[in-house]
Amino acid sequence: MKQFRLIPLLAFSLLLVNCSEDQEDDDLGSSIENPTTYSFVRDGASSVNFSGQTTRILMAEEIISAMMVETTTADALDAMFAHSEGADNFSNPALNASDKNVRGKTAASFDFFSGNATDQALIRADFDTWIGIQVNEVFPNWNAAASPGAAGQIADGSATRYVDGRGLEMNQLFNKSLIGALMVDQILNNYVSTDFIDAGSQRIDNDNGVMEGDKNYTAMEHDWDEAYGYAFGTAEDLADPRPTIGLDDSFLNKYIGRVEGDPDFAGITDEIFQAFKLGRAAIVAGDYEVRDQQAELLRRLISEIIGIRAVYYLQQAKLVLEQPTPDFGAAFHDLSEGYGFIYSLQFTRKPGSQDPYFTKAEADSLITDLLDDGPNGLWDVSPATLDSLSDQIADRFDFTVAEAGS
Amino acid sequence: MKQFLYLIVVVLGFTVAGCSGDSSDDEMRPEIPDGGGNGGGGGAVEFDRGAMLAHWADFIIIPSYVGFLDDFADVNAAFDTFRGQPDATSLENLRAAWLESYKRWQWISMYEIGPAEQEGLRLNVNTYPTDTDLLEQNAASGSYDLDLPSNRDAKGFPALDFLLNGLGDTEEAILMAYTDGTSGPRYFDYFEDVLTDIETRVQRVADAWVREYRDIFVANDGASSTASVDRFVNDYIFYYEKFLRAGKMGIPLGVFTGTPAPNTLEAYYLPGIGNDLFLQGLQAVQDFFNGKAIDGSGTGESLASYLRALNTVKGGEALDEVINSQLNMARDMVRSLQAFKTEIEENNPPTDMLLAYDEVQRVVPLMKVDMVSAMSIAIDFVDADGD
Repeated sequence: MKQFRLIPLLAFSLLLVNCSEDQEDDDLGSSIENPTTYSFVRDGASSVNFSGQTTRILMAEEIISAMMVETTTADALDAMFAHSEGADNFSNPALNASDKNVRGKTAASFDFFSGNATDQALIRADFDTWIGIQVNEVFPNWNAAASPGAAGQIADGSATRYVDGRGLEMNQLFNKSLIGALMVDQILNNYVSTDFIDAGSQRIDNDNGVMEGDKNYTAMEHDWDEAYGYAFGTAEDLADPRPTIGLDDSFLNKYIGRVEGDPDFAGITDEIFQAFKLGRAAIVAGDYEVRDQQAELLRRLISEIIGIRAVYYLQQAKLVLEQPTPDFGAAFHDLSEGYGFIYSLQFTRKPGSQDPYFTKAEADSLITDLLDDGPNGLWDVSPATLDSLSDQIADRFDFTVAEAGS
Repeated sequence: MKQFLYLIVVVLGFTVAGCSGDSSDDEMRPEIPDGGGNGGGGGAVEFDRGAMLAHWADFIIIPSYVGFLDDFADVNAAFDTFRGQPDATSLENLRAAWLESYKRWQWISMYEIGPAEQEGLRLNVNTYPTDTDLLEQNAASGSYDLDLPSNRDAKGFPALDFLLNGLGDTEEAILMAYTDGTSGPRYFDYFEDVLTDIETRVQRVADAWVREYRDIFVANDGASSTASVDRFVNDYIFYYEKFLRAGKMGIPLGVFTGTPAPNTLEAYYLPGIGNDLFLQGLQAVQDFFNGKAIDGSGTGESLASYLRALNTVKGGEALDEVINSQLNMARDMVRSLQAFKTEIEENNPPTDMLLAYDEVQRVVPLMKVDMVSAMSIAIDFVDADGD
């Protein structure tokens, strides 16, 4: 596992504060020391820790890999998903030893699910279902050709995709939906949420410099770091994920990178990074107004990542399906990814509100529309449906279908 | 592996057209009417896209498929002889027939449009490197479905390369694999199934061209992103860039990764052949550019004659001549190389082959920017984001 790099930047930080005061002292107040990288130090040691997030991301990586090995059993996948400490579920011994798991944090944010055990259970059941379909329908047809209504393999350019009878790739549904249900939900609706990070005596403790147990951080500092870890916890340089954004994992990091690669949204990585960093610096300074401003900014930016990718895949698939000789495998692959991003919309968060951009019912309805043009799901979907879905999604965000679609 | 998604980049088309004033005279820009293909308006250039399409179909594409299938009969015959009496002579004859056919394949590989696109012909017939583990597993079990996408890298010409040249380190060892009482019948059966798979697919494509697609292709003679010329020119440039340039040279050279990968060479198990196959592909591209009939009867309307009709110049020279000169330069450079495998394995970096690659690459912008700009064709492929 990667260790956080200890970078004593105190002197440098002070220098920077002087600069930033000149430029934006109204915004920052006078006491926030905003470092250049996500490096925070107390008594000469780092006060940053998000190893639990890194662990869960690595567990999720092993799950989605195992979903593509056709000899894996449902029991094995279920056990990886709901790992318990010491169980031999993963190839990485550190993961086996961990007391963390993925399923327990799936649809588990304080804001959205602490009072909604029903939706939480339904969402977890969806993930269980996708594992079940993969093992019980797709694996037995691993060496069969897919056709409408029949699971099997289908070519996507030089790649081979494995789909169920509706043309859906279960590994993609699991992977992309988890970006919403784990990473986005935990960041936006839990670890940067005022109701969560100010709970109990956390604000007073933070003001008074009360450490969490024998750790070198306050509970609030740690909460914010955990949010950061779900986005950047696998970065090559954990203090500055920007140089390798998109290359570090298969989840939120990857798709921040993909959106960054679209000239319409270039710079979004830095915006997200700066918001995390300034929010953490504000916590150190006890400036909760600036902290909460960063939380709202993160809600807008990270929700946009989900919305943009949902529209992107719908539009890419539309272009494929409009070809004289459609490459169904390519369209199915796009739409399986798109399905996961649409599913993830229910975990987004409208800034300044308690609401997602799309409720669970609305996200479910979009997915129903994606699959109900005919009896066989994606085999029957029309370009018009893909446009309609794209419009409905883009309408709720500040980007256009054209900006997201390429 | 990356997939390539098709994007209609209308904006790019406009942009390219907008900056083309340097290389071609805007006054001479053709007004190509929808459907007609023959500019009739005052001052417009007369060029008959329909005539070009008909020449392509009747004198180049369909005869190429027919020629391939004629040749392929020789492979089948040589295989039957080898199976009847597996010895050094019959193996050598089968190898020669295979190589001849592999060269002919380079003359049809670029036509991945219509029936071939539907068939996924190129990836079904020539995906390399071949997956020798999968091939061995298939042959040993005798239970496999060559129609499955996952078997594309265990069949086609690259699988035959392994079966003919890679089953052992020596001629004796290769022959032994076929004369052995256990493995022999399995390899023979697998060989035969691979031959049948290739022939069936190419036959299906050729039949579809003759039966219906020829007329559809020629009739769709307009100028729009879905017209035959626009679509084919995209496929043609895509082939040049991804399969000829990158597949046969760039990827083995490690141009895109920084790490040379000689194991990804075409015809890896018979070193030296990769050069020939590349040169065949290059000649096919150039002859197509110039509209050369396959039967040697001369030339017809072509991309070159189209450029001449448009009076397209670059740096004071006719663009079709610039493209031909660059193709000739690339050919000369590649011809002067040793076997690709030798170049890559014995030179670090493989400078001579990289220099040749650069000349091959220089054709790309001439076609992908200058030529399509003159013809008002939008490039509709980009590298997608992978995964």
